[in-house]
Parts: sequence; structure tokens; C-alpha cells
Amino acid sequence: MDNKPGFSPMPIVKIENLDKYFGHLHVLKNVSLEVPERQVICLIGRSGSGKSTLLRCINFLEEPSHGTIEVDGIKVAGGEKGREHRQLIHDVRLKTGMVFQEFNLFPHMTVLENVIEGPVIVKGMDRKKAIELAEQNLDSVGLLFKKDEYPNRLSGGQKQRVAIARALTMEPRVMLFDEPTSALDPELIGEVLNVMKKVALEGMTMIVVTHEMGFAREVADRVIVMAEGELVEDNKPEQIFNAPKDPRTEALINRYRTGAN
Amino acid sequence: MTAIAKGQDAPKSQAELLYEIQLRKERQFRGNVAITWVLLVLFLLLVFSSLEIRSSNGTTELAIWTFEKVTKDGREILEKTRTGIATFSIGLPNEGITLNTILVDKNFIAQNFTFIARGIYWTIRISLFSIALATILALLAALARLSSVPFVYALSTFYVSLIRGTPLYLQILFFFLALPQLSINLSGEMAGVLALGLNYGAYMSEIFRAGIASVGKGQREAALAIGMTQGQTMRRIVLPQALRFAIPPVGNDFIAMTKDSALVAATGFVHELTWNAQKVGRAQFRSLEALIIAALFYWSMTILLSYVQNKIETRLSKGER
Ligand SMILES: Nc1ncnc2c1ncn2[C@@H]1O[C@H](COP(=O)(O)OP(=O)(O)OP(=O)(O)O)[C@@H](O)[C@H]1O
Ligand SMILES: [Mg+2]
Repeated sequence: MDNKPGFSPMPIVKIENLDKYFGHLHVLKNVSLEVPERQVICLIGRSGSGKSTLLRCINFLEEPSHGTIEVDGIKVAGGEKGREHRQLIHDVRLKTGMVFQEFNLFPHMTVLENVIEGPVIVKGMDRKKAIELAEQNLDSVGLLFKKDEYPNRLSGGQKQRVAIARALTMEPRVMLFDEPTSALDPELIGEVLNVMKKVALEGMTMIVVTHEMGFAREVADRVIVMAEGELVEDNKPEQIFNAPKDPRTEALINRYRTGAN
Repeated sequence: MTAIAKGQDAPKSQAELLYEIQLRKERQFRGNVAITWVLLVLFLLLVFSSLEIRSSNGTTELAIWTFEKVTKDGREILEKTRTGIATFSIGLPNEGITLNTILVDKNFIAQNFTFIARGIYWTIRISLFSIALATILALLAALARLSSVPFVYALSTFYVSLIRGTPLYLQILFFFLALPQLSINLSGEMAGVLALGLNYGAYMSEIFRAGIASVGKGQREAALAIGMTQGQTMRRIVLPQALRFAIPPVGNDFIAMTKDSALVAATGFVHELTWNAQKVGRAQFRSLEALIIAALFYWSMTILLSYVQNKIETRLSKGER
């Protein structure tokens, strides 16, 4: 069991007492979570339970209202302002890669340009070196041959694989996926999940919001169930799927079983 | 679902037939439009042809009117002269009808065509400088409009409100006539470019604002997520896409600008198309001819620029995205 407190000496992501309000709406309620290195976590829950918000708080696309986020030793308190705070957020973002449901590739750049943009512009990496790294990652998602295409000439699955390569080329310590296959035609989901599995096997720490229970079962080390802004169950996949403890987990699993989601 | 899909697929040949009919109709329509255009141009030429058709007493006469130099009392003057071209032995009885078209002075046109044409240089020059200034101002105003700093936001809305609330003509006069009172003396061109640039900048800021708004939130988030600063995100991700969006409407405004540049003639110191036409027209009491020449130049320029713009637009829409 990886999720026993104190078991792993060095969590990559450590969330403590996180609260998030949208106006009066209390979306995350005192959430705490530790993610040890190399662990793959699947975050599941019904729509509106706060999965995306939690994920987006980790790289500060949403500013937490209270609580702290720590990524690879960089600790940021939510709800602060000022230059120092912005610098910390920037540092955290360099340690996190994010993959969005809608891919969000830059349409005015080729695939290769998309992938080297971060390393060159943000990290100031030498262009040649960035291209080398980018081509390596494009190759590993199977899309090196598309490097000079513009995104509008790619299928949804290919776009998402490029998005993964783009995030990986920043050499993050943790990858965040927010429903990476939800915008895809069913026949394209597999290729993206396969790439994600490969990334997991290479030892990347991953937090994945997903409705793909097959992936959760097969790849996740831990499945966390969210409901109404709280983490209601956190366990190994077989436990979650075969012996759910919380009635809300059970209801959710049953919904997936009957095919409704 | 599959049943519906099949239902749509079955009568495919009929759909293709309908499509062909549709295409033929469209082609026919465009053909007829083109023919009508040619007829309208011919009609316009006829209206200004100086021809006269007189049908009376059973004969029809075709004649042309011209201005001819004659010497009267030792002075050379221009006199309207009628020259017969052809006579036909059929026609209306008695008084009949006389159809007269507008008499234009072809000598004047021949002599002053190049003088007026030289105004094109200034028209284009002013338009180019003004559109450049307008684009910069519009971009700044659009960015300021997105600012969360009250002062910056207010500056943008104030500028747009002030400019849109006053006539362009007045703005040009203001720069040229009112500023010297404050010991600011601008050349006619400078005053014109400043006024046109400021004016179009205010209107065009809306284009850039829409362009920036057209770039989805996801684009910004993706840029921020890889660690870009707000500034980098704006410069490298949002603006390039917004500018692409803005190119067609900015083209429209450039075309409009070439015509509004005529107002700069009011300063009397910029020898662009309209000023040149006015000058020679007034001096020789030939404003009809002079203004027609200028109008034709503007019109041709507009057609040409629209054509170029169309080409650019199709190129852009074929491109990325
Ligand atoms: N920017 C926002 N402003 C206001 N409310 C928001 C905002 N973003 C999310 N919410 C609200 O916060 C709650 C949690 O949203 P969140 O997107 O995190 O849910 P989710 O679990 O990701 O759902 P889904 O499965 O539909 O993506 C919802 O009630 C949502 O309406
Ligand atoms: Mg979500």
C-alpha cells in the first residue's frame, strides 16, 4: 500500500488542506493528498465533483482559496499575491505537465514548433537541443512523421498525442491529465491510452482524471473517488472496483458498469 | 441511428442531380449578373458620350457634340459644336424627339488626366501611413481594453468614445487648423495621417478586441501550463492568432481609408486625388469632368484592392486552423 501516510519518503505532489471557492460555491473542501514519485493516480467522480478544479489547482490554473500545494519541494500557499508568489507558481508549472480534454495545440504552429515552444521560450533551451528532445518525444508517441504538419491536419487522437509530447518535452516531474480521451471518437481513444500507459511505464508520476475504467484498473496504482469536493475513497483499483467501501463509490462504479456515465 | 444514416445514403444519385441543378442555376445567375454589369457600364458610357439622337420629320439623325476652339473678338473661346455622324431615312413624324447625352470636354480630360492621376500617389501614401498608425493604435487600445488596471482601461474607452463621438472631417480640420493656435504646426499630410490614424484606430480597436476574444481560453491555459508568462502568452500565442483573424476586416478598413483620405483635401495642402481634381475642375469650370476622372480612379483602386483582399482571404482560410 502506497497511500499509508509516511510510507513514501518523498512525495512529488503534496496537497494540504486545500479549499477552493467559486464565489459562494465551495468546490474543494479541505482536500489533502500525497502523490509519491512514479505513482499513477486515477481521479474519478461524477460531473461537478471537483476533479478538474483539483487538478488545475496543482498547477495554479485555478488559484486555491486556502491550503498549500507542494510540487517537487516547491511549496506554494494558495490565495496569496505578489511577485514572489507568481515566481513560485512559475516554478511549479515548470515541474508539471498538463494535458487537456480539448488538446489545445497552438494552431498557428507546426507540430514540432508546438513541442519546442516551451523548452525554447520558457526554459531558454538551445533550439537544436530542443528539437532533438522534441523529436525523441514525438517519436515515442509515434508521430515523428507528422512533425511539419499543422494541427488542423491531425486526427483528434494524433492531436492529443502531440499534446502529450509537448508536455513531456518540458521534462516535468508530474503529468496532469484532465479527461484526455473525452473529446475523442471512440476508435481513437485506444491510441491515446496506449501512449499514456507507455509514459506511466517509463516511470512518470501521473494524475489522471478519466472515465476510462479499463485504464484505471490496468494502469493506476491508486484510484481516488471524488464527490462534492471531497476525496471519499482512496485505494488500489481492485479494492475500489471489487470492494468499494463508500456508498458513493459503489454508486459510481455501478453507473460505469451499466454503461451510463 | 444507423437506420437514419442508411435512409440518407440511399437516394444519393438524386442528391447529386439536385446538386448539379443547383450548380447550373448558380452559374446562370452569375452569368446574368456579369451581363447586366456590362450593360450598366455601357449605359454609363452612353450617358457621358456627348451623342445626340434626333428623330423628327421622318428622319433620324445621329450627331456628336464637342467643344471647339473658336476666335471671337480676337479672343479664343470654346464653343459647343454639333457634328453630324449619320442620317437614317426613317424616324418619327413632325417634331419627334431629341435625346441628348451629357457633354464632356474630352480635350480637358486629355490635358488634365495625368495631373489628376498624380494625386493617386498621395492618396495611397496617406492611406498606408494612416492604416499603419491606426493598426498600432487599435492594437494598443484593444490590449488596454482587456487590462484590469482601471487607468489603462479608462484610457482606452475614453479614446474610443471621444473619436467615435466626433466627425472625421472635424478631426482633420482640428489637427490642421486648431493646433497652430497652440503653436503646433503640422503639415497637411501630417495632420491628415494623424487624424485618419486616430480615427480608424478607434474603430479598428473593436476588430482586434474581437480577434483576441476569438482565441479560446484553452490556448491561454495551454501556454500558461507550459510556464509562459502572461506577456509571452499574449505575444506568442494569442496575438498571432488574433492578427490572422483581423486581417480581412483590416483590409476592409484600408479600402475605406483610401476613400476617406479624400477628406484630407480640406487642408488644401495635400495634393491627393480629390484635391487635384477640384483644383483643375474649378479653375477651368470643368468640375464635372475632373470629378468623374477622380471617381473612376477611386473606383478602380477599390476594385483592385478588393480583388487583392479576396485573394489574401482565400489564402488565409486555406491555411492553418
Ligand atoms: N470557473 C468557474 N467558475 C464558477 N464555477 C466553476 C468554475 N469552474 C468550475 N466551477 C464549478 O465547480 C464545480 C466543480 O467543477 P469541476 O469542473 O471541477 O468538476 P469536474 O469534476 O471536473 O466535472 P466534469 O466531470 O464535468 O468535468 C462545478 O459545480 C462547477 O460548476
Ligand atoms: Mg472536469
